[in-house]
Amino acid sequence: MKDKLYKLKQEFLVKLSEVKDLENLKELELRFLSRKGELGELMKNIKDLSGDLRKEVGQVANKIKNELQESFYQVSAKFIKNTNNTLIDPTLPGLKQQSGHLNPITLVQNELEDLFSSLGFIIEDGPELESDYFNFTALNVPPLHPARDMQDTFYVDLKNSQGERDLLMRTQTSPVQIRAMLKYGAPLKVVIPGRVFRNEATDARHEHTFYQLEGMIVAKDINFSNLKSLLEIVGKRLFGPDTKLRMRPKFYPFVEPGNNGEYTCFLCQGQGCRVCKNTGWLEIVGAGLVHPDVLRAGGLDPEVYSGLAFGFGLTRLAMLKYNINDARLFSSGDIKFLEQF
Amino acid sequence: MQISYNILKDFIKIPKSISPQEISDKLTNHTVEVEGFMNQAEKFSGVVVGKVLSVIKHPKADRLNLAEVDIKKEKLRIVCGAPNLEVGQLVPVATIGTVLPGDFEIKESEIRGEKSQGMICAEDELGLSEGHEGIMVLDKKAKVGQDFATYLKTDDIIFEVDNKSLSNRPDLLNHYGIARELSAIFELELETYDKFISTPELPESGEKIEVKVEDKELCPRYLALKIENIKIKESPAWLKERLIAIGQKPINNIVDISNYVMFEIGQPLHAFDAEKVNKINVRLADKNEKLETLDDKDRELKESDLVIADGKKILAIAGIIGGKDSAVNDKTTAIVLEAANFKDTSIRKTAQNLNIRTEASIRFEKALDAKLPELALKRFVNILLGIIPEAKISGPITEINNYKEEIKAVEFSFAWLEKKIGQKIDKDKALKQLSALGFSIKELDGEILEVTIPSWRATKDVKLKEDILEEVLRLYGYNNIESKLPDETLSLPVVNELRLFERKLKDFFALKHSLFEVYNYSFVGEEQLNKLEIDYSQHLKLANPLSENHSLLRQSLVPNLALNIKNNQFKVASLGFFEIANTFFNYPSTLIKDKTSDDVLPYQETKLGIALAGDDKDLFLKAKAIVGSLFDFISRGVLLEFLPAEIHPAWVKKDEFVSVVVAEELVGFVSILKKEVANKFGIKKNSVFIELSLKDLFTLYQTYGKNIFQEPSKYPAVERDLAFVVDEEIMYNDIKREISYFSDLIKSVELFDVYSGDKLEAGKKSLAFHLSYLSTEKTLTAIEVDALQVELMNHLAEKFLAKLRDF
Repeated sequence: MKDKLYKLKQEFLVKLSEVKDLENLKELELRFLSRKGELGELMKNIKDLSGDLRKEVGQVANKIKNELQESFYQVSAKFIKNTNNTLIDPTLPGLKQQSGHLNPITLVQNELEDLFSSLGFIIEDGPELESDYFNFTALNVPPLHPARDMQDTFYVDLKNSQGERDLLMRTQTSPVQIRAMLKYGAPLKVVIPGRVFRNEATDARHEHTFYQLEGMIVAKDINFSNLKSLLEIVGKRLFGPDTKLRMRPKFYPFVEPGNNGEYTCFLCQGQGCRVCKNTGWLEIVGAGLVHPDVLRAGGLDPEVYSGLAFGFGLTRLAMLKYNINDARLFSSGDIKFLEQF
Repeated sequence: MQISYNILKDFIKIPKSISPQEISDKLTNHTVEVEGFMNQAEKFSGVVVGKVLSVIKHPKADRLNLAEVDIKKEKLRIVCGAPNLEVGQLVPVATIGTVLPGDFEIKESEIRGEKSQGMICAEDELGLSEGHEGIMVLDKKAKVGQDFATYLKTDDIIFEVDNKSLSNRPDLLNHYGIARELSAIFELELETYDKFISTPELPESGEKIEVKVEDKELCPRYLALKIENIKIKESPAWLKERLIAIGQKPINNIVDISNYVMFEIGQPLHAFDAEKVNKINVRLADKNEKLETLDDKDRELKESDLVIADGKKILAIAGIIGGKDSAVNDKTTAIVLEAANFKDTSIRKTAQNLNIRTEASIRFEKALDAKLPELALKRFVNILLGIIPEAKISGPITEINNYKEEIKAVEFSFAWLEKKIGQKIDKDKALKQLSALGFSIKELDGEILEVTIPSWRATKDVKLKEDILEEVLRLYGYNNIESKLPDETLSLPVVNELRLFERKLKDFFALKHSLFEVYNYSFVGEEQLNKLEIDYSQHLKLANPLSENHSLLRQSLVPNLALNIKNNQFKVASLGFFEIANTFFNYPSTLIKDKTSDDVLPYQETKLGIALAGDDKDLFLKAKAIVGSLFDFISRGVLLEFLPAEIHPAWVKKDEFVSVVVAEELVGFVSILKKEVANKFGIKKNSVFIELSLKDLFTLYQTYGKNIFQEPSKYPAVERDLAFVVDEEIMYNDIKREISYFSDLIKSVELFDVYSGDKLEAGKKSLAFHLSYLSTEKTLTAIEVDALQVELMNHLAEKFLAKLRDF
């Protein structure tokens, strides 16, 4: 039995060395190596042997089988390499698969939500159709204030019992500050992303519909130093660890003191470029300590509690991040725009 | 607003060690944003004095001339369109390479075939005034080839202050106010303004203008003074230079002085020709009253507009602009000078109605200090007597006071202030700086400070101790505060599950179903809805829409998704969009409208909308597949049904519209856009819309989305196919329900074929199902399953007249 196996091996290797073409090779494979080939047939007989002999012959047979196959592959590999017509171009593209896209506002908003969630902030929503009271009065913007002008605010054509139009499309996410204070009380850490509206003619830099994210912390001992520190952290997380913050006074009715915040321009690392108008700084955030009237409107005693508040333009951040030059693109629904995100 | 370094220096001695850059930076960091500063000489760099040698008509343009201009170094040919161009004039010429205000660079150009080697400038082009009546003609002192800046004798530095950052600071719209800030920032001494108003004693008797103020609330203070023996002339050089430096066009001595005083101290003044004014009455306009104003426009007034009138006619629109007839002119020999205080909101409303903004109106509408008129009037007299020594003050000042001088003070402890800031700060320095701003400070018992607010800050801006905190903090410098995160004890964070769910959905549709996320407007238009045959009688409307296309608040995401399809349909073969956004309805919600009443806001609901478009016929099935996949994602194993609906929108065909019902609850719809409507709307592709309520999806997710692992049955399932024939009208969904509920052993029912056609009777269809039978208790035998399936078939035969299909 063993002899037969060795003989077969010998014969196979001789024939293998004489192979001329692929056809030859296939014949050889069929004759010796296939299931019904000579080797296979021989091996079928092994089971009829008895005991130790079966074990011994079995081992030899397997060893020979492996050797033959190894030699066969080596030779056949050479042949396949030499035969151009069967070579498959491995650089061909895969089958086309369509992909979907999230709006860049969503991407930027998610990034900020994740950042603030990780700092323990609640993410809160509020109505886009708001009342005059929450959008203005409660935020320390009195009647007759310029911000209430029809030319800045979309009013809804419904009159209240006094014959006044007191419903509007919110001009800021800030009314949710009041709603959140009324809902949760203090201490409170909340961020509010959302859609806001301004009644102004649209062009590349102005949109009547845009997106903001604002936040507030209200607790017993919140101070300006906390606000500054928080804004620094946010800047570093958004724009990189070397980002610096610069603040200066700015008036917003719902904070006192109020300030704006500029961060090192992340496009030029503060060297000065077109986007930062060569200043090295980008004006990104408005902030301040919550005005006592606003705390009161939120049902909190300003002698007990104090708060900090800040707001970003999500639209502006997305424009900066992706170098988008037209604010109208976000609402355009243009697939040539959307497919880039 | 432009601030002149030279004018500032009248009020404050700024040491040489403080550079203009530092002034600019410190003002920005502590007070208001300075957009930049410019040396006057630099501002005109490249502009030289030229002499017009010849003027000929442009051969190809009637309105243009070709001028030859001598600038000493060379002679330039310049195309010029000004009507006042004449030979022999000395003119400012912007040479090639000059950058004029507004970043306007002069380049060599060809205008209608003629070369132009520069520009002869008008005053507005040089940033000297708003005037563009023609080119600026220089006086005899000008030397050909001289730098224009040298001609103007300008050595000033001009700081450009951002007006927007002054919205709450009426006290800063003038030089004295800025000087006061600098005195606090740099701890420099501020000259008292009294020094500038010393005049000879005003006469105690003599002619006194009769003044009546009818509306006391809108005019808290009115001062008038008659001055005679005046000759209207050009202002002296110093005054003209200063006005030009801050961008104002000199007009004549009287107008220039009143303007100058306004820029110096912030109080607008107005001079009437005394001949046209016998007395003064401050009142509201009558209906349909008109006035021709200084800018040659006829203004129609409303009954809410405050005016200055005499017995008969209107002389001026209070606090905004004077009338043409009563204005000072070349022949004026006596004036009535007005220095008044008007109510901010009234001025703003009138200016807005009339659509004018003047230097006076932008100051009054920010609420000015009622103490200013007296200072301004005296300052006017002071300058006037310097320029026209022979002028005669006719009598005492007429003074109407309808305001009460209130001393406002706030109390707080310095410790409170430091607590709000978050660190210790130098108390002495802080109080010194506050004093420099005009606050007076008294230390009461128990560390309490009583801080009195100066009148010029008390009109609106400063009321509370928090306002004083801001003063101290900004002067200390926000950037000098140490950063320190809040001390916090850990607490359980509140997670907004709905928001997380929304994000899951967005990822699901974009990543799994390859849809594009759109952010459409919240608004729709009547025409758009008309074309979609949507009734908008119950839509909320905007009172002041920007355009007709955006005049209604949307109640569905479909109309704007339809626009998305229309706008993109020729770009690719198939489209898929989704949006998660709000819709608005004209019925009450549970959201409160304010804190005092029971009023509520209109109902608003977040919806999920999906639009598919393409040329393929099975889009409806694809849409239902997306819905199927969605509910498999959020509420796996819960019954989802597509049911026909009796009530449906007009833009669909009845059998192409289905309600989406999950766990027996209606959550939305899937529908094909009717061909006729699509055509009308301009959509060429087949399109299908899905709209679901986010709130309902979230409820399902919270109830069923837990994904509890169920151990697979230890026993094998037995698979059987079942095909039978029923009437066409019998709905799949009813049959499926019947099969599913027939036996607990039926674990899944899957339709794999629907057929109707030649091989069947007309009006019949055949349905083929894979059924899977499974018991959790034992191995089902073929005999048991077959028997059950026979019973099932009998049941279907009874219920739906179904007949087993024989192939």
